[in-house]
Amino acid sequence: MNEKELRRSQKGVSYARWGYLFILPFFLAYFVFTFAPQVLTIYNSFFENYREGLKQVGPNFVGFGNYVKLFTPDKSGTINILKYAGNTLTLWLLGAVPQILIALLLAIFFTSYRLKIRGQQFFKTVIYMPNLIMASAFSMLFFTLFSNVGPVNQLIQAWGWSDVPIDFFAYKGTVRGLISLMNFLMWFGNTTILLMAGIMGIDQDLFEAANLDGASSVQTFFKITLPLLMPILVYTIITAMIGGLQMFDVPQVLTKGKGMPDRTSMTLVMYLNNYLGGSKNYGMSGAISVIIFIITGVLSLVVFRTLNKKD
Amino acid sequence: MKKLIASLLVLVLAFALCVPAAYADAPEGKVFNIYAWNEEFKGFFEKYYTVPEGVTVNWVIVPSDNGAYQDALDAALINQADAKDDDKIDLFLAEADYILKYVDSDFTQDVQALGVNDFSNAYKYTVQAATDANGVVKGVSFQCCPSALIYRRSIAKDVLGTDDPAEVQAALSDWDKFNAVAADAKAKGYYMTASFAETFRPFSNNCTMPWVDADNNLQIDPQIAAWMAQTDEFIKNGYTLTAGVWDDEKNVQMFADGKTMCFFGPAWYFNFCMGNAQDPEKGCSGDWAICEGPAAHFWGGTWLLAPAGTDNPTMLADVMNTFINNEEVCSKLVSDEAQFSNNQAVNAKFAADPNYGSAFLGGQNDVAVFSEMTDNIVWQNHTIYDQLLNEGLQNSLQEYYRGSVDQDTAMENFYLYVNEKYPTIVTP
Repeated sequence: MNEKELRRSQKGVSYARWGYLFILPFFLAYFVFTFAPQVLTIYNSFFENYREGLKQVGPNFVGFGNYVKLFTPDKSGTINILKYAGNTLTLWLLGAVPQILIALLLAIFFTSYRLKIRGQQFFKTVIYMPNLIMASAFSMLFFTLFSNVGPVNQLIQAWGWSDVPIDFFAYKGTVRGLISLMNFLMWFGNTTILLMAGIMGIDQDLFEAANLDGASSVQTFFKITLPLLMPILVYTIITAMIGGLQMFDVPQVLTKGKGMPDRTSMTLVMYLNNYLGGSKNYGMSGAISVIIFIITGVLSLVVFRTLNKKD
Repeated sequence: MKKLIASLLVLVLAFALCVPAAYADAPEGKVFNIYAWNEEFKGFFEKYYTVPEGVTVNWVIVPSDNGAYQDALDAALINQADAKDDDKIDLFLAEADYILKYVDSDFTQDVQALGVNDFSNAYKYTVQAATDANGVVKGVSFQCCPSALIYRRSIAKDVLGTDDPAEVQAALSDWDKFNAVAADAKAKGYYMTASFAETFRPFSNNCTMPWVDADNNLQIDPQIAAWMAQTDEFIKNGYTLTAGVWDDEKNVQMFADGKTMCFFGPAWYFNFCMGNAQDPEKGCSGDWAICEGPAAHFWGGTWLLAPAGTDNPTMLADVMNTFINNEEVCSKLVSDEAQFSNNQAVNAKFAADPNYGSAFLGGQNDVAVFSEMTDNIVWQNHTIYDQLLNEGLQNSLQEYYRGSVDQDTAMENFYLYVNEKYPTIVTP
């Protein structure tokens, strides 16, 4: 055979172009619905652009003016956007830490070949159900439950724990507690199922070998399960964090958009939303969006690096 | 020659006769879009107005909380010129708190040009509210909303010794007397009002300054400051509750076992919003009466505004004329819907009728009381910012009254809110 024919037969059949074709729809959708709007938002954040009543003001180019306004301390010296970022992180941590810990525990229990828990299907269904409820309906429910004339206060007074209704929405601790509780209830089922899938992907032979060598369950967990579960755990933590930083629906509906008391349960996206209603302030809300993007990116990188240190 | 002129004349005559007929038959839009924030007017419209043949009425209802209705309306009005005929807004409702924004813009049109010319029956302040800076009337109101002090007869008897409206009015005719009676009510175990913001409107309606001055500085009128002082005292002494005006905690006070003596509201309030009091099992219908109270004021009221660029102008004018001038419809609004119509002649008829009384109010003739009150109502010092600023101030101060923050922090939070919603207003 001559050289050309040899080369052709060595190349074989190339299916590479089909691969590109199959992933093309995702990239198209990503570009149109995520990437382009993101770029536009960053572009908008450099303009002063809002409505006064029915009159449009701008868009006028102001450079970093919106960012400067965001980071200028108000009369009492607080930089409000940092306060709301702090609120968001606190609310997220209060909900996510128990969520991941309890999900991990439940995942271990459900996949343990020693414990053999019965009725697993029932439990798995029940713990996943809160995730199916719309967050806004869930928050309305809690709002009514914990109101001054709601069932919880009626029970508390009936049991004699207090003479006057406890105003759950007047204290920072109770409002944050309620929001974190709701987030926990909605997401721990989902996390359990994910972590279970991760654990079931670990080779059973390793567990048998550990058992034969006399390892206790705690040792098995820390030396075998956790390291091999790390990829899924990192994924869970990062997605939980991205969702947590964008927390909006639960606190918005529970506090009716006010972030009471004293704006201590106002998250970054609630703050952003305040600029969109009425004044349609695309400049300021664009600036806040960019800041949320930067915070999310930085934190994700930190988590990723820390947990993947061994690699 | 003569034949030519004759035939030409006939042609011209025929043309002149046909053209107006053609205009009269010009088709209007098939879809009549109405924007509102609740179903109150929808109920009246469906009962008392006959929709012309071939036209479907489409209701777009967006609740007004947090300015959501205004946002939806703004988006639709700004888009009016580009919208398809079937999607154009043909009529929209607006409240007193934000009517100025639409009246003073190019998005509403002159109703007199559409054929709504007779305002002789309407109350003056309702026409004033819908008139722009150049004197052009852009809408009408089908409700006049003088707001009365609604009191529980049984509680008034216990606290004041009487439930007769004239005597109760004498005991509550100014704020000093009102505050003194509040202390008496508390001594007997009653609340004077069921919400910290209950008395906001009586004060704010009588302000001498608007929310912002000519240089866009935010200003707090002395009347508003007086309200804040009164509420402070009331909360400290337990004369009222920390609930908002629309909260459940206030609504449960309207049941028979409620302990609150006074509520403030117009006819639409006890028609539409006091369902708990009207409840056949747990309510107390008939145990109520009204009087003017310490300060004449109005609350809300619904205006029908004419959007520019509507494709159903004749039907629009017809709807407006029906609800302000049609005697039968206005009478039905009073007799069957317990409304206070915007027709002075009709109201005077009911006010003078000794047999007309509201069962809810224990047989009292509320139209007579409202008719007298309207003379004292003023429309003044309104701005386009009213709805959100009123709401914002109440929400921020509620945290102070609940004990979460001190008053200075509450006001700071209010200023932050103003900056977010209206960037052009300068806050102190």
